[in-house]
Amino acid sequence: MKTTKTIFQDGDHKWIAIVRDPEKPNYLIDTNEYLVAHGGQGLLLDPGGAEVFPAVFSALSSEFDPSALAGIFASHQDPDICSSLALWLEFNPGMRCYVSWLWSSFIPHFGGNADTFVSLPDEGADISLNGLPLQAVPAHYLHSSGNFNLYDKTAKVLFSGDIGAALLPPGEDGLFVENFDRHIRHAEGFHRRWMGSNEAKRRWCERVAQMEIDMLCPQHGAIYQGADVQRFINWFDGLQVGVVNG
Amino acid sequence: MTTALSTTAAKAPQAGVDLLRIVRINEEIKSVVNVAFKINIMALNAIFLAKRAGVAARGFGVLSNELRVFSQDLRDCMSSLTSLVHGCVNDVSLMLQDIRHTRLLRHAAEMTNGTRMAEVLARRERENERHAASLASQRKQLKRALEDAFRMVELGGVLAKSAKIEAAYGQSFAVPLSQVSSEFDGIVEEIRASLESLRHSAFFAGR
Ligand SMILES: [Fe+2]
Ligand SMILES: [Fe+2]
Repeated sequence: MKTTKTIFQDGDHKWIAIVRDPEKPNYLIDTNEYLVAHGGQGLLLDPGGAEVFPAVFSALSSEFDPSALAGIFASHQDPDICSSLALWLEFNPGMRCYVSWLWSSFIPHFGGNADTFVSLPDEGADISLNGLPLQAVPAHYLHSSGNFNLYDKTAKVLFSGDIGAALLPPGEDGLFVENFDRHIRHAEGFHRRWMGSNEAKRRWCERVAQMEIDMLCPQHGAIYQGADVQRFINWFDGLQVGVVNG
Repeated sequence: MTTALSTTAAKAPQAGVDLLRIVRINEEIKSVVNVAFKINIMALNAIFLAKRAGVAARGFGVLSNELRVFSQDLRDCMSSLTSLVHGCVNDVSLMLQDIRHTRLLRHAAEMTNGTRMAEVLARRERENERHAASLASQRKQLKRALEDAFRMVELGGVLAKSAKIEAAYGQSFAVPLSQVSSEFDGIVEEIRASLESLRHSAFFAGR
């Protein structure tokens, strides 16, 4: 089973990270799922692939009533992001799924129907979770061509999807980045290869540098907090991406 | 719960095997459809041949007409078989998806406490049963349609054999007429053998 960790709490406003499953087979990439809870409602960010559904569902249930999930936020269309959609919908058929308009007719291949999807326009959108303002922040081409981060300005948390992702070796897989320089080596190859556009990367760095962020939470690897957030933005800004050997 | 889990796990290869079998049945039906089309052309040729042979081949001409009607009936019959096969493929595919979802939901339920999950599982099981019942009914219909097709082809065999006998009365056209009627007979026999093997497909066994 995965572990849950509350990374932010202010009354009933919470961010819960669902991470690290010792029983997960190695051929599946490790993913982090996040729950934003507010006023008894929840939004699940990148709920993960179908095969990890049991581990994510059970971990989530230990902290939160899954029938109180109002929706799913899918940063993009990858199978490790939301191929579990049909299973979540079995539990909660009325649940909505927020996703880029680019993918709103692709993701239904994972489940759902015409009523399930809320298409996000390229410029982003505001999402209200029982009165809590959340913001879908454009991060297109990083890596997906229709890609969003989710910002909670009240908690100062940015869910960054695949941006900031690291493939951590066993023993170095703590929930938070502890030593930035050592950590970032596990992120470099991923960013060079998966991120496709230097121009898009520059725009993202400029955009998020102006936001107040205490925690930057990627879908793989460890969470950047405090000064490491700006460190990451600077590092990413200087990295040449869209590089492939061969 | 453990028993049900192992039942679900055992169903997965069964559904996969069913899908393979139904695909084979479909391939066989496709080949019968091709052959049925050939009979139509052969029957047309035979009708012209009988016309040329005149009074001596009148009986043969009537039979050729019947064979032409038979080939049309056979094609109609095969197209309804094809749509039944498609229905079966659809239901087996749904069951394969059901099996995966049920496996993952069960696994989640085992790891979680709560009655809500039990309700979701029960609903999933009901849906699974609905798909299984639909497949069982399509399977039965397909079996019945195959039996009908088989009987029709046996009748076609009688026609072809009668045409062989009639060919002998074709006087100077006896040789080409008997050649044509032998071809008829051979092809109808080929279809009969195909349908015979389809009737005994393991897809129909046991349920
Ligand atoms: Fe991705
Ligand atoms: Fe990812």
